[in-house]
Amino acid sequence: MARIEDFEDHCWADVIDADTISVYSNYRRETRVGEKPALLVIDLYRLVYEGGPRPPVETTPRHYNTCGHFAYDAIEPTKKLLAAARRAKLPIFYCTQETRPQNRPSGVGSTRIHRKIDPAMHEIYHEFKPHPEDVIITKQRASIFQGTPLVSHLNYLGIKSLIVCGESTSGCVRASCVDAYSIGFHVALVEECTYDRSALIHKVNLFDLHHKYVDVIKVDEVVDHLDATAERRRVAAE
Amino acid sequence: MPNKAAEKTKSKERIWDKFLTERDKAVFAAAGYGAQADWGKRPALLIIDVNYAFTGEKSLPILESVKKWRNSCGSEGWDAIPVLQKLISTCRSKGIPIIYTTGTRRPDAWNAGSWAWKNSRNDEDLTAKIEDTAYAGLDGNIIVKEIEPGPRDLVIRKEKPSGFFGSPLQSYLQNLGCDSVIVTGTTTSGCVRATVIDSFSLNFRTTIVEDGCFDRSQASHAINLCDMNAKYANVMSSEEVLQHLSTLSQGMYDLPSGKGIKQGEVWY
Repeated sequence: MARIEDFEDHCWADVIDADTISVYSNYRRETRVGEKPALLVIDLYRLVYEGGPRPPVETTPRHYNTCGHFAYDAIEPTKKLLAAARRAKLPIFYCTQETRPQNRPSGVGSTRIHRKIDPAMHEIYHEFKPHPEDVIITKQRASIFQGTPLVSHLNYLGIKSLIVCGESTSGCVRASCVDAYSIGFHVALVEECTYDRSALIHKVNLFDLHHKYVDVIKVDEVVDHLDATAERRRVAAE
Repeated sequence: MPNKAAEKTKSKERIWDKFLTERDKAVFAAAGYGAQADWGKRPALLIIDVNYAFTGEKSLPILESVKKWRNSCGSEGWDAIPVLQKLISTCRSKGIPIIYTTGTRRPDAWNAGSWAWKNSRNDEDLTAKIEDTAYAGLDGNIIVKEIEPGPRDLVIRKEKPSGFFGSPLQSYLQNLGCDSVIVTGTTTSGCVRATVIDSFSLNFRTTIVEDGCFDRSQASHAINLCDMNAKYANVMSSEEVLQHLSTLSQGMYDLPSGKGIKQGEVWY
């Protein structure tokens, strides 16, 4: 649990001015990972990594959906998060675009950019390869909840809260977080494991989400929490 | 988890038996449907649309009542009231959430939408023309006084059959930590069934109280209970449900405080 004094101790500190922080002071609270969580891994598919760890301004002309070095910076923390989630035996739900042929009318997608969907590019990136026991949700829009059976799965497993990571902060992550909040799940959004194609957009969206809908939490804190949970479970089993 | 109440339900004659052919019965038995499902651990009581539009202002034979209230289920609705009272009082004493649904409609009925496609009396004013002045101007969407929502209960206003459709019901259940629902109300073939199927689809354990549900059609009531019992839910008597509720701990839920709500007023 992060202390109320640390509520604004996050990556947006250099872009949000003091007046705004003051206006938003009513939102200050302790933050935490919720009870009985599952991990949602939003849209970590190959397409976003195309063009390599370079500034998105250089990669975007050829690779329209890339997040450049922001995507690569998040690889190590995300692997750490996934490993901790597996140690704690959390159910893990990935999502990616639906790629079956003829699955939607033209004009339907996660954003207003409409390109031909290449199934190979929507496979989960090799660094985060899903395990056989994980679930991959395919979706057509921004939110992992929209038009998918995810809530049924979460209810089936008795899940009470979510830990979220992935991309993009302003797009599918934000849409999924707001839906999760609206449905009534507590959400812990992992700061270093979430990214966008612009630092400014990423930070402002994290700021919005943190104040209104979710607890933005640093990856080390989430990993410590999950390891403590795993340890408690191990001790209880003995 | 089989228990004595479940066994009892299994062995006795069911309300739908007299409507089924011998082949129907053989098919259900052979196909494995109608197994007794688990209750779940944290239920909410749902009371679907038990308002004056569906019961009429008082207990009258349905063909009499339906002249004034096109949706009335007549005296069968009133027969369910004592059953609902018992369930409500048990749930209140245990602190189990009670969630009512009722309709909502603009005065000009624009938001009736698809309802107007299938009923020739849809354009009638929701406030029925009642000669008895004691009931004059009664709004059909008011929940029947005898089972009115208490200050700590929840009420969902909805426009379509399912209590889940376009409503915050799912998020209320999520916030209360519910894993199951006990469904009552009306009509068995309409809003009860739609709500039960959505509950099933969301993976909530679902129980239907047979004598706590009613319909304007006797055959529809029986056959819909048969279908739901076969595929989606446990259909149980109120006696069995009350017995089960008595085994639950008191005070499991963080219910609304009820502050600022006056008993006896239509606050929803």
